[in-house]
Amino acid sequence: MLKPGTFILALLYCTLCQAQYDSISVPSGRHFNLKLSYNSSLIYPGMSTGVEYSLNHINERVLKNQKPGRDYKKERFISGNLNWYHHPYFHDNLYLTAEWVMRRTRFTGFISEFSAGPGFSRTFLGGTTYKVDDAGNISVIKLAGYNYALITIGGGFGYDFSMKKQLPFSTVAKMNLISMFPYNSTIYFRPVLEIGIRYTPGKSKNKVSKQSVTISK
Amino acid sequence: MKKVFFLSLLLLFSGCQKEKITISGNVSEAFYVDNAGASMRVLVQGNTASKTFILFIHGGPGVSSYFYDTKYISQNIGDKYGIVYWDQRNAGASQGTSNGGNLHLDQMVEDLKKVIEVLKFRYGQDMSLFLLGHSFGGLIVADFITRPGYQNMIKGLIDVDGSHNYPLNDTLTRQALLTEGNYQVSQNRNVNDWRPIISYCNAHQGNFSLEESQQLETYATVAENYIDSIKHINMLNLVLKYSIPNEIPLTAVLCNLLYTEDSNFNKELAVTQFSTSLNIVTIPVLVLWGKFDFTCPQALGEDFYNRISSTDKSMVISPKSGHNIIFQDKKFFCDNVNEFVLNHK
Repeated sequence: MLKPGTFILALLYCTLCQAQYDSISVPSGRHFNLKLSYNSSLIYPGMSTGVEYSLNHINERVLKNQKPGRDYKKERFISGNLNWYHHPYFHDNLYLTAEWVMRRTRFTGFISEFSAGPGFSRTFLGGTTYKVDDAGNISVIKLAGYNYALITIGGGFGYDFSMKKQLPFSTVAKMNLISMFPYNSTIYFRPVLEIGIRYTPGKSKNKVSKQSVTISK
Repeated sequence: MKKVFFLSLLLLFSGCQKEKITISGNVSEAFYVDNAGASMRVLVQGNTASKTFILFIHGGPGVSSYFYDTKYISQNIGDKYGIVYWDQRNAGASQGTSNGGNLHLDQMVEDLKKVIEVLKFRYGQDMSLFLLGHSFGGLIVADFITRPGYQNMIKGLIDVDGSHNYPLNDTLTRQALLTEGNYQVSQNRNVNDWRPIISYCNAHQGNFSLEESQQLETYATVAENYIDSIKHINMLNLVLKYSIPNEIPLTAVLCNLLYTEDSNFNKELAVTQFSTSLNIVTIPVLVLWGKFDFTCPQALGEDFYNRISSTDKSMVISPKSGHNIIFQDKKFFCDNVNEFVLNHK
């Protein structure tokens, strides 16, 4: 009884793994993006700018019942970002991040992505900072603030204008959670909303031709 | 080009930290005091032209001073005097790195001393300064004013539902819960709610461990909900109401609170008392208390009041308050604070 069952399961698995879709790696698709975005948490303003370098680019077609389904473009990037936000009377935070980005773009242009990576934060306290020595002498500390290690994780959605039109831009809205440590001997979490645009220099029409996708039967 | 970029950044951030001292009738400005690994936020609001300041020492430990900064207090005390909200180390918007080792009462009192020195540096040595300690803040001010010479730095002290003696506090909380609980049950009010509290108090009669102390505090907080004559305050609503207008860094406040609540520091506090040294206190003192405060019962305020040597002292009880008289009977609170400061500035 077990053998036919195992065989059917194995067959189904192979069907799912191989017959349902096919992927083509397109090394020539490597490119880089420039990013500029508004980087805020709630009402507190900020900016983020960065560069993404494409490492991997796969066009993928999912078949449903052996019929063409959705087409995707899967990309992997590494990105370097310089970010800043301003929280009055609390701090200004200038932080650098290096992120691993996984992005999936439908051929309609809809983007979904996930990113994570380490970083370094330098805060600047939100007011004049005084130091009082044991003799009672008071001095002002210039550019007072702290250095923290940082980890960021985030996900978001966007739209790639190059998929339908010949525009080398995409927009993105992304929620990041940054964690800074050691912050008062604990970890400080802060949700940060990023809304911005990406520009791909030298990018022409990005539609993938039908020849680039092979459909397995 | 690079130099210009970094110079611009430096100018931007140094601009935010530019020393700003405003003397006027309606001020709102913040500065930080750096001490022993912590940069503590100090927010100054209200009428600094009066040259009279009330420094709020918040409760907790780990609760922020942000929550005391309400519109009512701004309009009814801040219009007359400067109000100073100090975030203690590892609380509120105070910042630092690996500074947990310095989280103890002795360090906090030294922090307070330095905050006062900076206030006088900014607003003039001739300023009149009053300390207002609430709840755990009462322990910091009790420690502060019983150190030789420290009470001379201030004009007067306002003790609001403060705790100057943690072991006594636990004993009195148990007694107050038992007394009020039995009375409420006899009146057939919230019987099912009071019964577990009464049972716990009967089962734990003294020499309390930290866990017992924390459980008593939890019961003391919830017991206020079973007294109909108290004005009930929803602290979460208060936080949400002021989080944007007061620009509260909510996640920092929460992270600090969770760390401080769970730190070993609380073991040190559980055995701390200043009853035996309060006799050296001679400055004017106002004691404000809520009649239904089970967290720091009225008898604790009476112990403080009876032990200080001040000849100019008064104790006033709010009949409709629990532990948070500042919010539960705000008119009573502001009227009494204003009168005391006016008479002693």
